[in-house]
Formats: sequence, structure tokens, C-alpha cells
Amino acid sequence: MKAVILAAGKGTNLAPFSTTRPLPMMRVAGKYLFDSILSQLKNSGVNDVFVVVGHQKEKLIQRVNESANNGLNLQYVEQARSSGIGNALMQVKSKISPGEYFLLIYGDTVAASNIFSKIQQSFHFFKCGVASICLPPANSMFGNVFLNAQMSITKIVEKPKGDEMGNYVLSGVYILPYTFFDLLKKNKLSMEKAIQEMVETDGLRASMWEDEWLDIVHPWEILSANRILMDSWEESSISKSAVLESNVTISGTVRIESDVVIKAGAVLEGPCSIGSGCYIGNNSLIRSYTSLGNHCSVGYGVEMKNCVVLDHTDIGRLSFIGDSVLGERVDIGSGVMTVNRNVDWKPVRVKNNKGALDTGRLKLGAFIGDNVAIGAGNTIQPGTVVAPGKIIPARYSITGK
Amino acid sequence: MCGISGAVGLNDISQELYEGIRNLEYRGYDSCGVALVNSKGLVLKRNIGGVEEFYRKENVLRQKSRIGIAHTRWATHGKVTRENTHPLASNDGAFAVVHNGIISNYRFLREKLSREGFRFKSETDTEVIPHFLEYFYKKSKNVEAALAKTVEALEGTFALAFITSHQPDQIYCAKRESPLMLGISDEIKYLGSDFNAFIDHTKNAIIIEDGEYAVISRDSYTVKDLATGDEIDKPIQKIEWDSESSKKGGYPHYMLKEIHEQPQTVNNALDIQSSLTDGMVDLIAESDQAYLVGVGTTYYVAQFGQYMISNLAEEFLPAISADEFVALAKVDKRSMALALSQSGETYDTLTALKYAKSKGAKTGAIVNVMGSSISRFVDKFIHQGSGPEICVISTKAALSQMVLLTVIGLKLALRKKLIGKKEFQKRINELKELPEIIHAVLNERSGFIHRIAHQYYKVKHWLYLGRGVYYPIALESALKMKEVAYVHAEGMPAGFLKHGTLAMIDQDIYSIVFIPPRTDKELYQATLHSVEEIRARSGFVLGIHFDERGKNKDLFSEELILPPVSPLIAPLLQLVIAQLFAYFTATSLKRDVDKPRSLAKSVTVG
Repeated sequence: MKAVILAAGKGTNLAPFSTTRPLPMMRVAGKYLFDSILSQLKNSGVNDVFVVVGHQKEKLIQRVNESANNGLNLQYVEQARSSGIGNALMQVKSKISPGEYFLLIYGDTVAASNIFSKIQQSFHFFKCGVASICLPPANSMFGNVFLNAQMSITKIVEKPKGDEMGNYVLSGVYILPYTFFDLLKKNKLSMEKAIQEMVETDGLRASMWEDEWLDIVHPWEILSANRILMDSWEESSISKSAVLESNVTISGTVRIESDVVIKAGAVLEGPCSIGSGCYIGNNSLIRSYTSLGNHCSVGYGVEMKNCVVLDHTDIGRLSFIGDSVLGERVDIGSGVMTVNRNVDWKPVRVKNNKGALDTGRLKLGAFIGDNVAIGAGNTIQPGTVVAPGKIIPARYSITGK
Repeated sequence: MCGISGAVGLNDISQELYEGIRNLEYRGYDSCGVALVNSKGLVLKRNIGGVEEFYRKENVLRQKSRIGIAHTRWATHGKVTRENTHPLASNDGAFAVVHNGIISNYRFLREKLSREGFRFKSETDTEVIPHFLEYFYKKSKNVEAALAKTVEALEGTFALAFITSHQPDQIYCAKRESPLMLGISDEIKYLGSDFNAFIDHTKNAIIIEDGEYAVISRDSYTVKDLATGDEIDKPIQKIEWDSESSKKGGYPHYMLKEIHEQPQTVNNALDIQSSLTDGMVDLIAESDQAYLVGVGTTYYVAQFGQYMISNLAEEFLPAISADEFVALAKVDKRSMALALSQSGETYDTLTALKYAKSKGAKTGAIVNVMGSSISRFVDKFIHQGSGPEICVISTKAALSQMVLLTVIGLKLALRKKLIGKKEFQKRINELKELPEIIHAVLNERSGFIHRIAHQYYKVKHWLYLGRGVYYPIALESALKMKEVAYVHAEGMPAGFLKHGTLAMIDQDIYSIVFIPPRTDKELYQATLHSVEEIRARSGFVLGIHFDERGKNKDLFSEELILPPVSPLIAPLLQLVIAQLFAYFTATSLKRDVDKPRSLAKSVTVG
């Protein structure tokens, strides 16, 4: 079966990280989200994959070209303008034949295990259009479905207000017939309306997904995705080219890639992932759910917990990075503190250009975009978003002036 | 767009080939065909229509063969006619080919072959392939060489497969751009446009890539390069697939499927012939003493019946656990025993019934499995018609039995003139609302139940509390939790608490309380009182109630709110909620939901 991954969206709410990359190019739990999708697809028996690219397409095109020979027939299709999911899907119409069914995947979702196998199993049974459904932590952002006992979807309520609904929701994975393109066209490329019409006419069956599932909309959900993926790990791996000096303590599941150097006295509490070429300084404490990208440098005595750090980022000595996401090529000076809770333990709010958003989380640090430099001695307020490229001067208590 | 499949094995493969091509129908179907080998040579069967229709019309399954290829077609070149249907044969009848893709230079090739004397019987692009195979085979007397030469001449896309009388034990296949896979099992080797063709038989797949061809026979396969003929070492890919799972029709487990089937099974119970329940009512009314007998879940169903019949018909029918029946029940020819069993094979229940009969008592049963031992043994039996219950844990069968006991209670009340016909019909109509309400609640409350179950799945001790008819609901709900999640759960009458159990309450003991609707005034007040007793000792209470949100502010630690319903069906609705709560706790704990440990579907041992 052919698969279509929609990865053209801007993901505006995911700033500062979506500003400089398409979401599937986030490296979470040591792996690009895109690569996680591809390996699940491959294991589910799919081998023809079309990726619709748009926003920041160069990075994804490069990755498609790099991955094309891993036993998958992988191609990209460009969406010229960012104009919605329906339009993005329309770009692959010529790749699907009349009468054919295809697997459709929203590129901003994460599942703990193989959701693509599951939906194909349901399709194998129903032999008609299928939508994957799941129970999310909150219902208001999704299409809420009503089912009958035969798993036919009878009604969809999009993005209901209030908290009265505890329905299963559409989880962004479908198996659809070629005729769906006609429905899309008829409904002016509105995905929601086309799905509605399919429910009312040809019918759409549901495939229940019970393992962890997440739609990454806000930057703090990158941390949830990281947790979901790391929790699915079953074993540790340490590259034979990694150098672990004396008195390095490791517990839990860890993934340590090639050419990593971990200096004496460091403690790693899994699950955590250390990308290739990373340097972990003496007496550092890398706590659970830390994901370091490739070629990062962590100075002496740094403490890290529950954070995602992208490639080529340096963290100066005696810093604390917790419940935070750091972009690529970020330069954190020494003694920088990401404060990760309010003094009164009220849930942290994240301030972005749209105002302050409730996260419901008691512990949350900072979201720092690519190429940011933060001078030594800064303490960063919980929930702070730093735009890409920003330079924050160091904080001195004594100066020579 | 077409689908191709093939199979070769030690014994007859016609059934496997049929299933394979039927599972590829989603790739398009307007016509369909197969090629097989029998003692006389190649046999071709083809016709227009879908796979099932074609097989029936042509009586294909009567043809036995150890080797075969099949095709489901979605016409691209040539009309939908029998002549254009694959497989297509060479003029000498030695090659039969199925093909998915488009040969773009076929007009040119057709002319060329026509000049060589080949006659074309179809309008398809595909037909050039068998003719070329024949043409090149005549030159080289080598099938693989003929294949390589043929493919060299083709422009366009293809996944093709053929069988030939020259090598009747082998299937040949090749690929350029159109998908092709092999499926490798010990007994049979398969090929298909994708794994749907063979996934029911093997998860071991080999993906054929562009420019490769493969030769498969019953006990070997080789993959080679089309251009050089060099053998390629292909890894076997294990497809992540749970064959059992695809039978659950989109549900992750049978237990959840059966919970969701309850609106239908309740309807089935309510549609049961009136004379059957009347017969059971007669049996009860004519006896001096009637007993309700069950064991495990059905004992709690019996307890529910005991309360219901007492409430509705002012008649006390003791519920007795079947394994204790002989020790406890005093039966003679003036008494009767009404047994409840899903399977109708339960050893303990059958023993109790035999004992009752031996003492001259009348016997009756409500059973889900027609023709079972209990259904044949008793004087009167009601087949509840809930459909097969595959999950070892009973959900839909138990709920239907409770509904039937409620109906029996109402009929008994009518017979005793405790209620009039009008009141009786009103109550029956209330029961008839249950399926629709369960359906709505499953749709709109699953998420809340899941969230609470997922949040508290690590809790080690639960107390399930209810008063009156809600007490057996608490018992049965607690049993679900024990059976499927292996979590300690204890059902108890809420009034029992203050006689000792309260001493246990602390922050490690969690309680679930079944609150009646407010219209059931006394029971409602008394139950809320028990909640307060627990809260006063800082115990956790999950309240399952029918009040509006915020009505019992701060009374519950967590609440599951149900739409207002009549007291007659309220406990049944709460049981559905508790089934789901146990289910989601079990999935959070990663339990083997459909086959929990230490339990069998019907316990047929003593």
C-alpha cells in the first residue's frame, strides 16, 4: 500500500522551533520524527511513500534524499503555497491510481508503537475507508467521532467547546480510497467537510488506537513526544566508538551514539539519548528524558532533566537545563539556570507572540530557538520563548566600569 | 491499478490463492482470473466481476492445484471483457501471465509480434508479454533467459508473474515500479502486489525491488538481477502484524468490542419471545420456593436478580453460588432453581441443577449457548441470544441476563397484580431506552473513564460500594477489576462500612461508590452518607452518579457523571461504566485483556 505523509504545514504554534524547520525534522528521543514515521511504515509492510513538503522544505527534501535507499521507495511532492491539508493532499492525486486505497498520515503526530500496522489490520478486515481513532487527554482540539458497534463512524463533531465530550477523536491516520480526491474537490479542499461527506455517503470505519498518541501542537508537547518515544524503548545501546571515562554511572535505558566522550564522574539516568560526537563534561548529571542531538557539548557540572536539545548546541559549565527545549547551535553560557517552576507552584504559562498560554504543567522551563546565544549567569523565567538568533548578554554582578 | 497474487506449495493451494486475491480486491476490481496447473497442463479461468462472484460463477475452487497465479483487474487498456481479463496466455498455451502496470510501447511491440505471426486475442497491453516469452523461449529453451529478454523489450511499468508448462513447479515474477512482494512460509511460497495477499499465513516478506526478478517453488526462492542474472541476497522482513487483531474489526480487544455490542445484545434480550419469559415466570410462581443459581459473574447476576425481583415483585428468591448450592439449598418437588450461565457448560451450575432435579425440583436456565448441556438439561430454558462472547471475561452476556431477570421481575409483579398493565408497559419502555443510552454513554464518556483509569491504574486496593440493587453491581464491577486487571477490588454493601471496614480507610484505599439517581430518595441519601464517612477519613472516592456537574461539590475526589435515567436502568448503566473502567485499567497495566490468567471461558471442572 502507498503512504502519503503530510509535512508541509507551518506549525505556527510550535514557534520558535517551527520557524526554522518543518516539524518532522525535530529530533526527539535521538531521532527525527520523520525517521520514526518511516521506520514504523517500513515495519508495517509499506514501501511506497510520498511526502508532501512545503514550509522549510529544503531540510525535508534533503532528508528524503538521504533516506530514499533504506528499502523504501520514497519521493517528495511540493505544495507551492501553504493552503491547508486538503490542498496538500491534492498534490499527490497523480501518484495514486483510480480504484486504489492509500494510507494518509499527518506528519505532526507521534505514536508509541506501530499505529500504521494497526490501521492496516483493520483495513484488512473492513476492506473500506478507515480512520484511526484514539482517546486524547483533551477533546476540544480534535474531530470527535460517534461510533456504532460495527465501528462505523456515524457522526463527527469538530473541535467542540467546553469539556462535556469524552469521545474518541480522529488521530490523523487514515486509509482512504482514490474517490476521496473527488470528495475533496467537491468540498472546496476542506478535509473536514470531505471526511464528513464520506461518513454520510460511502461510510468510514474506525480503528481504535490504545497506545500512547500525541498531536504536537505546542512546544511543550515536544517534551511529551520525547517521553512517549523513550518509554517505548526496550533496550540500551552504546556505540563501540563511544568513550566512557572512569566512574561514569549509567542506569536505565540509554542510547549513546558514535564518538561520544563522557568524562569521569558523569551520571546518566535513563531513559536518555546522547547523539553522536557529544561531549559530556566531568561530574555532569544527565537525568531521565534528556535527548541530546549530535555534536553537543555539555560543560563541567551541568544538570539536565527532561529536555530536548538539538544538534551543535553547547551548554556552559554549572548550568541547569530542565523541562526545556533548545534548538540547533544554541550557545548557553556558564551558570545559566532554566527555572522550571513558579514559586507558588501554579501551572506554568508559556508566553509567545499570541499571548500567554496555559500549559497545565507545574514544571516547565524555556523554549530557545536556533542560533540563540545566552550569556553567562542568566536565569530564565519558566515558560519563556526565545526567538531564533537572539543574543542575550551575560549578567554580571561586578563589572570593571 | 490491479492486484496480482500467486502461491506454490506441496499440496493444493487453491484456497490460499483465493483468499490472497480477495484481499487484494481493494486495489480495484472489474474482472478477475486465475491460472493453475493440472495433469494436462495450464488451466485458465477468468471472467468479469468481483473475486467472490467470479469464483462462484466459474466454480474455481473445484480446480485443485499446487501452483497458481491470480489477478484482479482495474481496466486501463482495453474494455472490461472476458478476453481482456488476465491471465493472458501465449499462442502455444505454454505461458500464462498476470500483470499490474502499463506497458507504454505496447502498440509498437504488438505490430512487431504480429509480423512474427503472433495472433492477439485481447486489446490489452499485457498480451505482448506471453507472446514474447514464447518467442524468446523458442530461441533459448531457457525460461529465465526468455524472461530477461522480454523485460528488456518492455517500456513502462510492471509487476508481472507467470507460470509455464515448461517448468510447471515454479512461478516467475519481475518488477519495475509496480509493487511486488514475496511471502515465505514453510509450507507455501507466495507472491503478491502487497502483503495483504498472504499476511493471514505468513509475516515473512521479501520486497522485490526495481530491476529484480524472482523464481519461487514450493521449497525455495531465488531473487536475481534482471540485467545481469546475478543472485541477490535479500533479507526477510518481518511485518509487524497481529493476525488475530484484524479479526476484531477495528477494536483492540474482544472485551471492548463486546462492551460496545451491549446496546444490540440488550435489544436482543428484550426481543425474546414473550412466551419464553412467561414460561419461566409460571415456573417461579407455581413453586413454593425458587432459587437463583450462578457462579462467578453469574452469581452476581443472580444476586442482582434477587434484589430486582424482591423490589419489583415482593418475592424473595435467594441467590446461591452454584458451588454452595448442595450445601445450602433445601429443595423438594415444590421448589425450582433458575440457573444462569453464559456457556451452558459450567460444571458447578450443572451439578447444582442435577441435585435440584434429583430432589424433584423444577429447573430453568438462561443460557447464551444454544444446544449446551445446561440448555438440554433443564425443564425450561431461555436462549438469551447475545451472540458469541469471545473474551474470557463476561460483559455483554451478564448484562443481558440482568435485563432478562428484570423483565421476569416485572412479569411476576404483573401476575401478582402489584402493578397494572399500564405501569408494566411503562417499565418495559424504560428498559427499551437502555440500549440507546448505553450507546450514547459509550460514545461520549469513554474518554473520561479512560482518563480516570489511566490516572489511577497504579492503585492497589479498591473498595466497590453500593446499597440495595447497587450492591450486586458493586460486586460484579469489582470482579471485572480482579479478573482483567489483577487488581484487588472488593465489593461491599455501603452500609457495611461502619461495621469495621472503615478502619482500613486511608489514602492508600480507594473507593468507587455507585450512587443511585436522586429520585430514589432514601437510597440516594444513605449512599451519600457512606461517601461522607470515607471522605472524613481522607479516603479517595470516585463517585459514579447522575447529578449535574458541581451538585456534590467537593464530595467526590473524582466523578463520572451519567445522563439522568430512570432508577430501573440506572444500575445497569453503571455496570457498563465499571466494565470500561476495569478495561482501561487493564490496558494501562498492559494486561492480556482477552485471555486473563487463571480463567477459562467456561469452567467445566469441579
